[in-house]
Amino acid sequence: MGWGAFTGALIGLPVAALMGFQGMLAPRGRSELLAWVLFVVYAAGAGAVIGLVVAPRIRGLAVAACGGVVMGLLGWLFFWLTVDPVLHGRLPTWSVSAASEAYRNLVADLLHGGLVAVFLHELLLRWVYTSRSEPESPPAGRATRVVIVGGGFGGLAAAQRFERLALRGHGVDVTLISESNFLLFTPMLAEVASGALEPSHISAPIRAAVAFTRFRRGSVDEVSTTNQAVRLVEATGVEWIPYDHLILAVGSVPYFLDLPGVSEHAFTLKDLNDAVSLREHVIGLLERADHSDPDLMERRRLLTFVVAGGGFAGAEAIAEMFDLVQGVLRYFPGIAPDEPRFVLIHSRNSILPELPTELGSYALERLRARGIEFRLETRVVGATANDVELSDGRRIPTRSFVWTAGNRPGALIAGMGGEHAGNGALITDSSCRVAGLNGVWALGDCAQVPDVDNAGTSFPPTAQHALRQGKVVADNIVAVLAGRDPATFRFRALGLLVALGHRTAAADIRGHQFSGFVAWVLWRGIYLVKLPGLEKRIRVLVDWLLDLIFPRDIVLTARSVAPERPAAHAAEKAPQ
Amino acid sequence: MTTTGGLVGRLAAPGAASSATAGAAAGLVGGAVFGVAMASLGTLRTVASIVRTDSATVGFVVHMAIAAIIGSGFGVLVFRQRGQASEMLFWGLLYGAFWWFLGALTLLPLLTAQPVAWDLSSAQALLPSLIGHLYYGATTALVFVALRRDRGTKLRPRPGSAVRGVFAGLIVAAALYLVIDRMAGVRSGWIFVGGAAAGLGYPVLFSDRREGAGPALIRGTAYGFLWWILAAVTVPPLLRGATLNWSQAAVMASMDRLPGYLLLGGGIGLVFTGLGGVSRWLFVDDVRRLEPDSPGSRGLHALGYGALAGLVGGSVFTVVMVLVGELPTVAHLVGAQGAGAGLVVHLLIAQIIGVSYAMLFRRRSFDVASGVGWGVCYGFFWWTLGDLSLLPLLAGATLQWNATGIAAAFPSLVGHLGYGAAVGVVYFWLEARTNPWWITRSEVEGLRATSNREQTLGSAPALWGLIVLIALTIPVFVV
Repeated sequence: MGWGAFTGALIGLPVAALMGFQGMLAPRGRSELLAWVLFVVYAAGAGAVIGLVVAPRIRGLAVAACGGVVMGLLGWLFFWLTVDPVLHGRLPTWSVSAASEAYRNLVADLLHGGLVAVFLHELLLRWVYTSRSEPESPPAGRATRVVIVGGGFGGLAAAQRFERLALRGHGVDVTLISESNFLLFTPMLAEVASGALEPSHISAPIRAAVAFTRFRRGSVDEVSTTNQAVRLVEATGVEWIPYDHLILAVGSVPYFLDLPGVSEHAFTLKDLNDAVSLREHVIGLLERADHSDPDLMERRRLLTFVVAGGGFAGAEAIAEMFDLVQGVLRYFPGIAPDEPRFVLIHSRNSILPELPTELGSYALERLRARGIEFRLETRVVGATANDVELSDGRRIPTRSFVWTAGNRPGALIAGMGGEHAGNGALITDSSCRVAGLNGVWALGDCAQVPDVDNAGTSFPPTAQHALRQGKVVADNIVAVLAGRDPATFRFRALGLLVALGHRTAAADIRGHQFSGFVAWVLWRGIYLVKLPGLEKRIRVLVDWLLDLIFPRDIVLTARSVAPERPAAHAAEKAPQ
Repeated sequence: MTTTGGLVGRLAAPGAASSATAGAAAGLVGGAVFGVAMASLGTLRTVASIVRTDSATVGFVVHMAIAAIIGSGFGVLVFRQRGQASEMLFWGLLYGAFWWFLGALTLLPLLTAQPVAWDLSSAQALLPSLIGHLYYGATTALVFVALRRDRGTKLRPRPGSAVRGVFAGLIVAAALYLVIDRMAGVRSGWIFVGGAAAGLGYPVLFSDRREGAGPALIRGTAYGFLWWILAAVTVPPLLRGATLNWSQAAVMASMDRLPGYLLLGGGIGLVFTGLGGVSRWLFVDDVRRLEPDSPGSRGLHALGYGALAGLVGGSVFTVVMVLVGELPTVAHLVGAQGAGAGLVVHLLIAQIIGVSYAMLFRRRSFDVASGVGWGVCYGFFWWTLGDLSLLPLLAGATLQWNATGIAAAFPSLVGHLGYGAAVGVVYFWLEARTNPWWITRSEVEGLRATSNREQTLGSAPALWGLIVLIALTIPVFVV
């Protein structure tokens, strides 16, 4: 811009001289000297704009000259037809007569613009860019490497933020590692399990969401904070990926509290495979139970569905399973309407502890009214292939046991240094930096981030927190690279919503409580908007509309008629 | 892109030297065409006055020498540009027009100890010279391309493209036929002949290279201007009296056909490209040749950005609308009255046009300059289509496709150019903020980005310059 102003003034001088000697410079009563000064100042300004707009991309003489001509002509429109009349106390008219009057300035601006651009082009090429030792050469050092482990809400939000920051000149080399190549919208997972939504409709491809970030599909099983590298395990082998800053956003995995038989026999509801497997399992059991089985106990097992955990995931799982079974029962004439049994086991005396007591009670009443049994103040102490054992000594015969009663960070986090909270999460400072580990940041379910506004507390592990923590961590890394202090993470939750099946929900939004149909509409509306990508929103909306009109699908895609819990599901896995 | 050499370095390069030589040879041919016109117009003596003589023969020799020198300058200037007919034609036209300002209006008077001819009346007196410079530039460019055949020149289109071009010309001609019929009450079948000819010429000049609909529209508009110069300004006087008449009065009389030719050209570019897209969509079996980015994936974002950019551009335009008192006229479009209603309608239209800009020019801007370039050109097109054509038609008035009507619409032209510049810049900023298509790790995306940059390195900057020049030369034509 400075070079542009200089060149503009330089070329402006002979143009002004030409106009001055021809008597064109001060036709409106201005003094000759003032007119000269004004024209050169104007020429310098025009040159600065040309330098700003045209010069940054040196692409050949013709392109530069052309850009200069265009800018000169637009400058004439702006200054001589618009600003100049105002400076003379008149309103601009932009009429042909006004244009005719200022036509000599148009010629001057056109020639000035074209010549300035040509001279500027040559000046920059021959003197400025070649005399600089560094700017045009590749950067002396490599770009800062940032590795994000985890493609959930937090990890993806951080990667997206880095792409925005790159546009502002904060170039960092970002690699995102995730075991799945999509972002799973977990609030709708229970609806996939019930067959209301197609699995792929609640998942957004990571490569499309962060098209300019390097993506590696695989899992990280080890972090070397000494060598600042992560060990990536892919189908093709193992590779160490170096980093300067590491963001851990690996979420959590089901925690079975070392209860006997639970990890082997319980379904979980953490990812798409879980949801699809659970749906297939339930439909498969209905297929088996539809035949008149003489063994009544086995029939009870097939038609009893048990969920452990009365939090959000548990309440939604039992409600959606209820809807699925009741919705498709008409296809299974061999099963009496009162035969399916649904049981939710919870260790406290009310469900949904995250919500206000009133909403928890409301949810309990509504689900009870539908026929769902609740075993409150009761714990699961073990499970077999045939039943679930409770803390009160009773056993519930079932082949469908869903575990939602505990989560914790996976093995990767457990194996890392730094300080760990009681649930195994990494303890960070208020800017999400892991204490004691240089260049390591953590967020989401795998981190315990202190809430500085409420001393002694930390932020809950929800998606809305993880999403915002991802953005803050990206900003903080850029701040640290620029020598600034990282910012403190502050966020007040917008609200909590839980779907209770069959057009019922409960919601607490900034202290305002909603329940029933209104809350259900809120739930669907808010989560539909939050769903990443317009395409997915449309697909989910269509799924919901079809669900209003048609019964749920009972097609089994698995080979097994009644799939048992796959062995792989029993192992802990990190939903990265 | 060179980073070490300047003009001297490029001249020293073997390719640049041959390009300058080819330019000089092409300049001689262009100079001959211009010289014949000057002989017909009797202006060679003016050139001879440079060497203090009034001999027309000496004037022709001096003219040819200047033509060769300027032609070699053209060769140096476009040395780095892609050397196809479609690209060079517009560079040549712009180069010719620039030399009218620099040579005819400035240097020639100075060399003959006269005041520079920068005022409007002098420029109008030299209007024949402007048209001659345009012919010189176009001829020089086309001959230059023919001399540099190593750059993949092809002036013969595939039969399918020729048919598509004629079909596009006939479709646009039919649309114009209805408008002209309504305007003048005259049914003229010649417009179909002209449409078919212009449609056939389009693929001949611009080959089969795929490009976006927006750039095709702008290219077509400039192509329409060329047709106006040829078919409305040059040929009719020749047919009538076997002599050229490029005087200001004659050009002013031809202004009633300028909007029609601009719309014809723009329409042909748009329809030709659209038909190509439809035929690819229907008949191309190789999916690699199709657009990899489905419209729904990022296109809907673009529409939102277009609406926002249109709103900003409309706000800029509002200043002109208020000061010239045009808002009540706009209100009549919906049967309303008053400036308030006019403002609402105006901003709505601005947003709709902004959305159309997004549809046509998505991913066509890579910096502020290209945003301004496409935006200003699109603003000019909408001045022709909207202000000169649709506004009177929808308001139930008669079209004013004549010098008086065009002169009266000049404030609106300024507003449209400002609107276009604002839309282009804001849309570029919005697109770059969230969708930096030129920063990519994917090889396929990278190739596409390179292709878009090459297109800009082709004729796009010349198109921007030419369209702005046409717009701002209008006072010379109509006053």
